[in-house]
Amino acid sequence: MPKIELSEERVAELKQKIEKSKEIFKMAYDRFEVKDQRMVWSAGKDSTLMLWICKQFCEENNLPMPICFTIDEFDVFEEIDAMLKIYAEKWDLRLDWGINIDVVEASGWELNADVTVSDLTKENQAEIDRIGFGELERFPFEAESFIGNHLMKSVVVNKYIQDHDVKAFYQGLRWDEQPTRSEDPYFEDVAADEYTPEQTRYRPILHFTERDLWDATHYFDIPYCSLYEQGYRSLGAKTTSLKLDDKKAWDQDLENTIERAGRRQDKEAAMERLRQLGYM
Amino acid sequence: MARKQKNVILLTIDTLRKDVIGCYGMGESYTPFLDSIQDKCVRFNNCQSVGPYTQASFPGILTSSYYFEFGREKQISSKRTVISEVVKNGGFTTAGFHSNPFLSAFFGWNRGWNTFYDSMMDQVTDHAPYILGDVINSKVDSWVNNHTSGEEYTPFFLWAHYMDVHEPYVPKQEYIARIDPELKITDDEMFQLFKDVVLPRDTSDASKNELLKKLYLAHVLEVDDYAKQFFDNLEKSGVLKDTIVIITSDHGDEFGDHGSLSHDGRMYDELINVPLMVYDADCKETQVSDTVVSGVDIPPTIAKTFGLDSPESYCGQPLLPIEDYSSKGSFGEAMGKLQHKIKPTDRPAYFYQEENFRISYRVEDEKWEMFDLQADPAEQENIIESSSSAEGMKAKLTEQMHVVAFD
Repeated sequence: MPKIELSEERVAELKQKIEKSKEIFKMAYDRFEVKDQRMVWSAGKDSTLMLWICKQFCEENNLPMPICFTIDEFDVFEEIDAMLKIYAEKWDLRLDWGINIDVVEASGWELNADVTVSDLTKENQAEIDRIGFGELERFPFEAESFIGNHLMKSVVVNKYIQDHDVKAFYQGLRWDEQPTRSEDPYFEDVAADEYTPEQTRYRPILHFTERDLWDATHYFDIPYCSLYEQGYRSLGAKTTSLKLDDKKAWDQDLENTIERAGRRQDKEAAMERLRQLGYM
Repeated sequence: MARKQKNVILLTIDTLRKDVIGCYGMGESYTPFLDSIQDKCVRFNNCQSVGPYTQASFPGILTSSYYFEFGREKQISSKRTVISEVVKNGGFTTAGFHSNPFLSAFFGWNRGWNTFYDSMMDQVTDHAPYILGDVINSKVDSWVNNHTSGEEYTPFFLWAHYMDVHEPYVPKQEYIARIDPELKITDDEMFQLFKDVVLPRDTSDASKNELLKKLYLAHVLEVDDYAKQFFDNLEKSGVLKDTIVIITSDHGDEFGDHGSLSHDGRMYDELINVPLMVYDADCKETQVSDTVVSGVDIPPTIAKTFGLDSPESYCGQPLLPIEDYSSKGSFGEAMGKLQHKIKPTDRPAYFYQEENFRISYRVEDEKWEMFDLQADPAEQENIIESSSSAEGMKAKLTEQMHVVAFD
């Protein structure tokens, strides 16, 4: 029994959106072997919807599931951690974990502790230099600060793609998630540069709005993390994600408020620009 | 037959002084392209920004409201209505493209846009800590081509904003050569000048002020080229004939005009008096308005062009047709900062202008100033004690000030 009542037209619309996503998976499977594919799965609402649709697609076509990849930013909600483990087992997934352990060790395994740059590996030092902080001696260890986000996420993903020779990479992004995403394509061949190996990025659920996502999640009984019931709209690192409302995520005014307002990295990016302009 | 609904483009150029634009006739021209389109423009000779820096002026340009109207906000108040929200709710398509962190999604400026690009996640350099005008142009061009590709398309409102004129003033060598072929300076030297002279507001060496002005003017030539490319692209896409383009600036910039540099919380002409022109391919000849108008008039003008009502919160009135506009003077406010960063001890500053008189008040030192812009365009002689209209102007300014509470 579905958890919400929807009109026939609405259900047909959601089914059509799911079919559209399956077409993207088909394109990827037609072009790449499954061993060369990876799916980023954070147990957040977007990547879980993507994973669920992929599972439907694979069952219908008798295909194996791609390996999933999750990033351990060190600052993780217990609820997220539990969901990853429970569904990896339930759905029989192979789930790889990536972490930039060098940075965690340099922090003494403590959030907000100072990391001394010279304690890091040459690779991590080069990454800090690359994003414009070459003169920095130390920085506080935070998963979603400008430096933290780069070291704990971007670097981890790039290294994983390199190490496993990943050719196709699925991302659970949505056009309406933030307007800066509104022109992202369903798939994109990314040429290799000094830092990023050559790869094709697939984004199968771009066309789902936040409302579509929650309607589909409830109607098709797709699992979701309990934090959304507490009012979180968008989940990042534990200590820097905020709930701006105590209402369940899907009961909030999705159309007129900002989904990512509780996320840290958007603030950090704007603050970094202001710093470069001399205002901070 | 019903007239076809036109698109509206708002092209804002950060930090562009009015007196460098040739068609205003205030001195040498650094804007051959903007000058060349005047026969299709309504030009406003007396537009006042509602604030001398981005955070203070854009509430006027995009929400027809004043900086302190809703107190001091971290993100723009939900009581403000962004013009994109009005147009989008009216059934049209909206898109915004810019690179100013003060106007980024983080501060809430992404409200009401079907497409919004603020570049915050893109890599930039210290020498140009924003996305350059040619990149903005190419993003706009691909959006326009994509949106208008079918046989019919929904009329759109598009906002594009150039940052290129804004410090740190590291223009391309080709433009420096056009300003002064003798001038030899490296990118690093220019950036050092920004750090050593502009940031500390050090005007002690007049030759450095002059050098900075040259670098600024080189950027103006550059941005004029971007504007030309912008119009060329619209022409190629076939939409220029169906599009009204409003061109303005959020504020000017100072090079020692009143003893400082850059653009702080002061209410002088070089910062407040901004260019404003409205291009329309159907315009038969140049029209000129000398009336005092304001940045808050831009959103109602856009709403009216789409046949939409302005929300009650809008403080301005439609600029067009110019004969229907009745000036209410213009008002503005900002933190009265005198340095690059805002300090906790800074307090607001306000101005009000009517015809050729502008009065201003700084809370921090309780200082009143008044200038006759016609007799004294450089604003050197404070007539607050001598002018017979000073008391009346004081009362009008005081009536409009939004008082801000401090802990």
